Amino acid sequence: MQAPYPDEKRMVIAMKRILFLALLVLTPFIISFGSTATARNLDLSTVPKRNAVQLTIYNSEDLTLVRETRVISFKKGINPLQFSWANTLIDPTSVELQFPGKAHSIQVLDTTFPHDKPQMLYWNVASEQEQEAKIEISYFTSGISWSADYTAIANPEETFLSLEGFVRIHNQSGEEYEDAQVRLVVGNINLVEKIAELAQLPPGKVEVLEEQTFRGYKQKAARQMMEAPAAIFSLGAVMEDEALAEPKEVAKEGLGEYFIYTIEGTETIPNGWAKRLRSFEAAKVPVKVEYRYRPREYGDELVRLYLLENETASGLGTTPLPNGRVQALRANGQGGLSFLTSREIKYVPIGDRIELNLGPDPEVVFELIRLKTFRDNIWMQVKGGSIYHKVGSRELQLDVKNRVSGWDEHKEFSQRIRNYTGKPIKVAVRRSYNGDITFRSELNPKLHDYKTVEFSTEVPEAGRVDLLHEIITRNGYNAKQNRVKLEKR
Amino acid sequence: MINISRPHVIFALLFLALPIVPLEAWARIKLITLPVRERVEIQLDHPQATLVEEERIVPLVKGINQVDFSWANTRISPDSLIFRVLNTSETPDQAVKVLSVSYPPNENSLVWAVSSPHSGSAQVRISYILDGLEKEFHYRATATHDEKKLNLAQYLRLKNLANEEYKESSISVGFGDQLTRSVGIDETKDLLVTRYPEVMVRKTYTADLAQYGYLDAAKKKLKIPMHYVLKNDTTNGLGKASLPFGKTRIFQEDGHGGTAFVGEDWGKFTPQDDEMSLYLGVARDIVVKRTIDRNERKRINGNLYDYDLIVKYEIENFKESPVTLDIGETLRELRAELGYQNQRDVECELGPETTLLGKPDAEKSDADHLLFHVDLPAKKPESKPDKQICKLHILMKNEW
Repeated sequence: MQAPYPDEKRMVIAMKRILFLALLVLTPFIISFGSTATARNLDLSTVPKRNAVQLTIYNSEDLTLVRETRVISFKKGINPLQFSWANTLIDPTSVELQFPGKAHSIQVLDTTFPHDKPQMLYWNVASEQEQEAKIEISYFTSGISWSADYTAIANPEETFLSLEGFVRIHNQSGEEYEDAQVRLVVGNINLVEKIAELAQLPPGKVEVLEEQTFRGYKQKAARQMMEAPAAIFSLGAVMEDEALAEPKEVAKEGLGEYFIYTIEGTETIPNGWAKRLRSFEAAKVPVKVEYRYRPREYGDELVRLYLLENETASGLGTTPLPNGRVQALRANGQGGLSFLTSREIKYVPIGDRIELNLGPDPEVVFELIRLKTFRDNIWMQVKGGSIYHKVGSRELQLDVKNRVSGWDEHKEFSQRIRNYTGKPIKVAVRRSYNGDITFRSELNPKLHDYKTVEFSTEVPEAGRVDLLHEIITRNGYNAKQNRVKLEKR
Repeated sequence: MINISRPHVIFALLFLALPIVPLEAWARIKLITLPVRERVEIQLDHPQATLVEEERIVPLVKGINQVDFSWANTRISPDSLIFRVLNTSETPDQAVKVLSVSYPPNENSLVWAVSSPHSGSAQVRISYILDGLEKEFHYRATATHDEKKLNLAQYLRLKNLANEEYKESSISVGFGDQLTRSVGIDETKDLLVTRYPEVMVRKTYTADLAQYGYLDAAKKKLKIPMHYVLKNDTTNGLGKASLPFGKTRIFQEDGHGGTAFVGEDWGKFTPQDDEMSLYLGVARDIVVKRTIDRNERKRINGNLYDYDLIVKYEIENFKESPVTLDIGETLRELRAELGYQNQRDVECELGPETTLLGKPDAEKSDADHLLFHVDLPAKKPESKPDKQICKLHILMKNEW
């Protein structure tokens, strides 16, 4: 366990908000609970401490599955237990009590939510014998979340990146889970209601909402993941001092459509705090620099991108990369850094490409110049005619009222690119055209889709290229298609 | 962790007696060192962000060290903070490492947990994006008396609204030399970035109705703005880097050892090989009268027409020096001027009656805008200038 946080302003929470009372029946002080447990004026209770806590945190939803274990002595017969969670964000419908390895000799008879005490429940537990047993309480809480972020530092030549991935856990749940084993789930689960909403409901009202389907969906989705083998789920394991000298390992494993990150050892994240841990480091990831003009994706500007692969050859590829913010910098060769961008990336599966948009580069000038316009292949539609007679003469004039109904419009363009970056660059351009279009050029273009042309070029250092092309648009009567056709000049 | 009355970035190192201390212990006895900044670099090379890098010598004890960084009332982006240990020649298992970062609630601070395999000093570099340290560029241009050259000084104006003082900091704008200056809280500093002593300058006079309008619409006299045009290339004394956007104050040597202020303009962002045009005012001694001399419609078929146009320019140069006049025409505007409105591009050809010498400027003309250069001889003293008449014959084709 790492040392706690040096914060003299921090209030030490003296009393846990989540309280588990084992109400031991000690006659004559306690009247045993029948089918419904009720609070009496005179109680004797014990407060068993948590032995271990496991948090499974989902980043796609405001949802954390908490699994805690405690050890309790049961007497033979009925044992009333009280569980309360004042000022937390626990979903009362999700609280479950289980007895690992003791399913045959101990069972929950009933669960009661008292009408006058919100955020509390009673269990009546039947034990076949007097025994000590490990119990496992699990529930959903909102307010704990995690997010991924990355720091990428390129070498001065921009041929390699040092890429560090981090996970950041935020605890706003109202509860401090001490020495918890933390598991982070990458992937989207289906929820039909939000835990944060359910946590606000008094337990008595929960029954109104609590339909079997809803519970089924939620429990199945989240609990399935909980059953994944944990890297370590020992009872409050504390790491050796020597091991603390190393950043914690974050074990990653696949589970169906999901990925689970298990943080080595245990963590204590006080309520209100956030903690950031390194999830991976790749020291020398090959990177390619490409310039792209794709208005649909990047807006109406030429942008520079770092392209890298999430694969083992790049020093990555062991895990999908969750969506998160990437801060990209470049080493300036004198020990310092230059800031490049800070952008969100979407989830990157193993084997997929990471495309990091660095924004426009002022050292590359990208201009589209229209060189010429002309029209041909003009068709007239005959709309009838009129005969005109000049007064005082026999002259007759026939005026046929024709109107332009179809024409081809030719536009010649130069896509001019000037490169002042100090090294050759690759530029890829995509342009979309609506209507019946012929794209005529010597650029060896490709069709990206039926209306989008893609062409690329290399621009030498301190060089300029003019990518000449002609766009022929068939209009009116001439328009027979809605697609782009490629043609050699 | 430390109450401070003035806004400041605080960097504190907490020596731990034990690697594991109960939470409550933090509220009581502790020893803190405050490593000072050894070096600061302010990187202003990004158009939207300022990156500050600080180097500090941090005494570390063997084991885990808590390094606290707080920035009360300073606009640091917490997600941008990077902590790097420099000059680590050790093998990985002997290196100083960052284990985790913790973020306390409702505070501008964070705590790095740093493990060190041995006691001793480590040189660390902390980088972060800082809001409020704003930059802008401006220029001072002094033209020679004959207006052939400029002495161009480029300045960086740094406004420190970040609520943090940076002493003896190395400031880089991405080009030119690094500057070393102190920047106090709420200070504005002007720093000379670079000086271009001999920039070739071209003074232009432009007649372009669409761009600049009339001086006297009733008499069809065009406004003739004057510009200093600087080409950003090495041939013309520039070309080291793009010129950032900024205000340019223009002075001219008066021929008596002094200078006169002749105006100011916003210089646009100018990549290399592009031109920066600085507006000087309206020329009064070059008169250009522009008229549409011919407007004939030729019916091709039905509602399909060609238009035969002649734009005539009557030009007088009252200056006793020769000048070059730039004449510009925007074809869509010309078509609209004649009352023909549509959304199609203009298909046009130059007609044989054009008397403007030479072809349109190939670099500065395109399918919709034509630019010609006309040399105007100097006016002879004590005489009226010769009136030059130039015609632009345009055939607008396939209009309906």
